[in-house]
Amino acid sequence: MSKMTEETPDVYTIEMDSKNEGRAGQFYMLSVPGVGEAPISVASGFGRNLIFTIRDVGSVTSKLKNLQFVGIRGPYGTGWPWKEYDEVIGVAGGIGIPPIRSLLEEMMDSGRQQDLEVMYGARTPSDLVYKTDFGDWTKSLNFQITVDTANAEWNGNVGFVPALLRKAHLSRMAAVFVIGPPLMMINTVKEALKLGYREDRIFISLERRMECGIGVCGHCNIGEHYVCESGPIINYSRVRNDKELFL
Amino acid sequence: MNYILSKSEMESAFVAISSDFQVYGAVERDGDVIFDRVAGFDQVSEERSRYAPKEFLMKRNENVLILNVESKKAVFGIKSCDLKGFYLMDKQIFGKDPFYTQKREKTLFANFVCSEPCSGGFCSSFGGPVLDQYDLQILREGEKFHVMVSEKYDRYFREFKKETGTFYVDFSNRFNSKLEPLPVEGIEKRIKWNSELWKEYASACISCGACNFECPTCYCFDLYDDGNERKKEWDSCILSGFTSSSAGNIRKGLDERLRQRFYHKFVYFKKSKDTYLCTGCNRCVEDCPVGIDIKEVITYDYNGE
Repeated sequence: MSKMTEETPDVYTIEMDSKNEGRAGQFYMLSVPGVGEAPISVASGFGRNLIFTIRDVGSVTSKLKNLQFVGIRGPYGTGWPWKEYDEVIGVAGGIGIPPIRSLLEEMMDSGRQQDLEVMYGARTPSDLVYKTDFGDWTKSLNFQITVDTANAEWNGNVGFVPALLRKAHLSRMAAVFVIGPPLMMINTVKEALKLGYREDRIFISLERRMECGIGVCGHCNIGEHYVCESGPIINYSRVRNDKELFL
Repeated sequence: MNYILSKSEMESAFVAISSDFQVYGAVERDGDVIFDRVAGFDQVSEERSRYAPKEFLMKRNENVLILNVESKKAVFGIKSCDLKGFYLMDKQIFGKDPFYTQKREKTLFANFVCSEPCSGGFCSSFGGPVLDQYDLQILREGEKFHVMVSEKYDRYFREFKKETGTFYVDFSNRFNSKLEPLPVEGIEKRIKWNSELWKEYASACISCGACNFECPTCYCFDLYDDGNERKKEWDSCILSGFTSSSAGNIRKGLDERLRQRFYHKFVYFKKSKDTYLCTGCNRCVEDCPVGIDIKEVITYDYNGE
């Protein structure tokens, strides 16, 4: 590990010396020897140094912060299929932002930042991560931020993320990549459909307990799909009728 | 290729196989049939083992930080229903789980075809005891052995008498007509998400996980660190921690977890692999301490609810 940044009281970002061999949306299994493994989405673009942004919620994620060496295997799962679309809108809620950061870097590295818009929402201004990147992103693309609840210093958007979709300028043919807490994803998908985006161009990120990452251990199924294989990024129209879709 | 062998010819085939493999067989020990090393074909029991011999390919618990080179094993006397479990698991995990895959490739299974239906078993619902995939498939008829041999192991049998004709097909038809198949076809469409059955089962189930551990098709495992080892250990979808994660638990209710077990077997696996994840062995029924019967899941009148 080469760098650690405290993003919020319970979220931190770590950077490795190794390169990211995964695509935006994919995840790695990070491990602390003797404690265990946790699936973490990659936050940097393909070919850049590996970056992970982690919320301290469990036995592994509380210990990844201060290690010299981190166990790592992957990448696993599916990524955002941005290369297949002329226009992409990334919508992230809360700690769903890292895979969108990765998407942003990949599209920038391919010179396609003008085909991307990013909508990002957090509960409060102090829950926002990557604050030091905001300046660059705002210069490069339509990057919108909102918070559910403002504080005295906040003079930006206030409200839930789905509402930000109305600030998108790209066409209704754009692919919409949605990631965040279940309720945020449900409402964003609803809003996107209401605004006329195509259902078969909406992609969501699924979340389940994952242990093996290779479609064997059986913990992450949603219907006949194993999230670690068919997901985490999946076309909404493929799973919209699955009864256990959202936690 | 199919062959017909005498008892002594069976022994000489066994000897030839023994020179290339560590040989195990079903044997009686202290009143239970288990698998252990055997030195002759006549030592192999025709009784069904107390447990499905899943451990040949998936140990209850193994360290996954080291992939040991496994020795070649031959296992005589596994029953068709138990062997079929591996062919079903293969569809999901072969080639992906290196621990399972290596052992699978290095293990020869000689399955015994039951001559009569067993009490409670319902294998005819899934094709019966004559499998269409096997290494060596053996059916004893008095002093004669009918052996179906896969191409991979044909070299051990080439010197013996070939069997032509329809013996196995006729046997299979006879067997399956003695044991009437359950109406399993289409269960994936009949079964009901909100059925009362799941709540009824949940009110009795004590979450022991025996159904999973007994099942020759259940392959799910838990992965956890233990000192210097990272272990892969049999897991059970009936246990509440199975799906719990930092984001929440999708199946908090025992009724939901029981439903998942049956949906995996009869709906999800059918959708993804075009076959049911059950062999009709009845082990989960026999060892369920509260009498939950998977056969009822198949025959239940969901429309009548």
